Amino acid sequence: MRYLFYLIGFLLLIIPASTLAQVGEFLGDEKNFYAATKQVNQFLRRFNGEEDVRGKRYPKDDPNYRHGEIRRKYINILFDNNQKAISPETKKSFMSEVIDSQDPLFLNFHGGSWFAQVSTKFKYKDRDETLQLFLRLQEEKVGSKWVIYKAHFEPFEQYFKVDTADDDRFIHPMSHELDFMNLRKIFEDPDIVAAYSNEEFMPDYLSLVLYEIKKGALKFVGVDQVRFHFFQLENWYFELTEFNRSGPNTGWLISNLLPVNTEQKELLMRFIYYGND
Amino acid sequence: MRKIFFILTTLGCFTTLNGQDVISPERKEAIDSLALEKVRDLSRYISIIGNKDTPFSEANRVIDRAEELFAEGSEIGVSSINRSDINYYQIKEYFRRLMALNYDRVTIKWFNIQYISDLELQPDGRYVGVITIYQRFEGVSDDGLRYMDTTKKDITVYVERKQTQIGGRLIGFWDVMLGDIRVTETST
Repeated sequence: MRYLFYLIGFLLLIIPASTLAQVGEFLGDEKNFYAATKQVNQFLRRFNGEEDVRGKRYPKDDPNYRHGEIRRKYINILFDNNQKAISPETKKSFMSEVIDSQDPLFLNFHGGSWFAQVSTKFKYKDRDETLQLFLRLQEEKVGSKWVIYKAHFEPFEQYFKVDTADDDRFIHPMSHELDFMNLRKIFEDPDIVAAYSNEEFMPDYLSLVLYEIKKGALKFVGVDQVRFHFFQLENWYFELTEFNRSGPNTGWLISNLLPVNTEQKELLMRFIYYGND
Repeated sequence: MRKIFFILTTLGCFTTLNGQDVISPERKEAIDSLALEKVRDLSRYISIIGNKDTPFSEANRVIDRAEELFAEGSEIGVSSINRSDINYYQIKEYFRRLMALNYDRVTIKWFNIQYISDLELQPDGRYVGVITIYQRFEGVSDDGLRYMDTTKKDITVYVERKQTQIGGRLIGFWDVMLGDIRVTETST
């Protein structure tokens, strides 16, 4: 909190009247806009200590470039201050690892292990339904692009529910000798057919979504919310969410932070993917 | 004057075709200036189109000029604080709606801040970036009704390497076009 106070004070002192050409009439009081983390790009640059308080990039040979103290100040303002679930101890421990003078951690846009969760609205059977899309950056021969690699759609869940306690539903081991004639009975009841799939079976919602879109059954309405999940820093997970509110603590901010080992990372990822990994 | 500035800035970005297509920090700064100039043009056009004193024919002419700043198929997505839905408009449609707003006086002012992202190479060989600016809109009707909002505009910028012939020599240069714009009403 103290650092945030210093930074805002610093911002107020150093932001001079602009030397830019006038576009009609300019308004004053931009301090909250300067403090806001306006783009994910700015979040990354602030996290890494690669720009000054006005958003101007430091040249790589600038002594301030990726400087530990500058990063400490920046990272402090990159948290959602209303999120009480992030304890001061967790934050402190994260900070000390990230700006460790011997082995500091940086975020890399092209470094992988981070992805976007886009909450969208689709019209399905005359109702607006939420469809979760997961996108990641894919490197190409030339440049890169975001690709959709996973989806979750709650209305489809009911089709794949399996009662694990239902042990008497199985295709007996000698069925092959009868040319699997018992399949007829299984497929008679659509509600229980999923019980006959293998243990590891996971429905591929993205295929279903693409199929339904192609058929015209799912119609895009709009994007509701975007958030990002970062697993790029070893032993840490954080969630990045955009906040639109008054004051300086606004824009793209860390809304969740957890120390996680490899096993916990997998569990967490499964949770984010609605149990479908 | 604007045109002269544009040409000079563009010339500043010239490199021979044998030169590298990788954008150095110095060239990035030159491209940023060019992109910002286009964004300022757009801001000027928005102010003119929104101004109730602008004659109809002039506003239409400015709409055409504004449209020329954009890559084909660009859209503007608008959302407000009280409504989670995003309304999507074609560029021309957006400007026509701005021109037709039912206020007797409209004031559009800009906050003196802009944030310019890095440029990322996309698979078609063009670079893409985003410039963020803030605008305040105020509309007042004769019966005293007043509407005011502050919006954040995230403007897509495409940077493309093009070539032209000057004095029999092929010269490469970087050209800038605007793309989709996301308009979000802010709580600030």
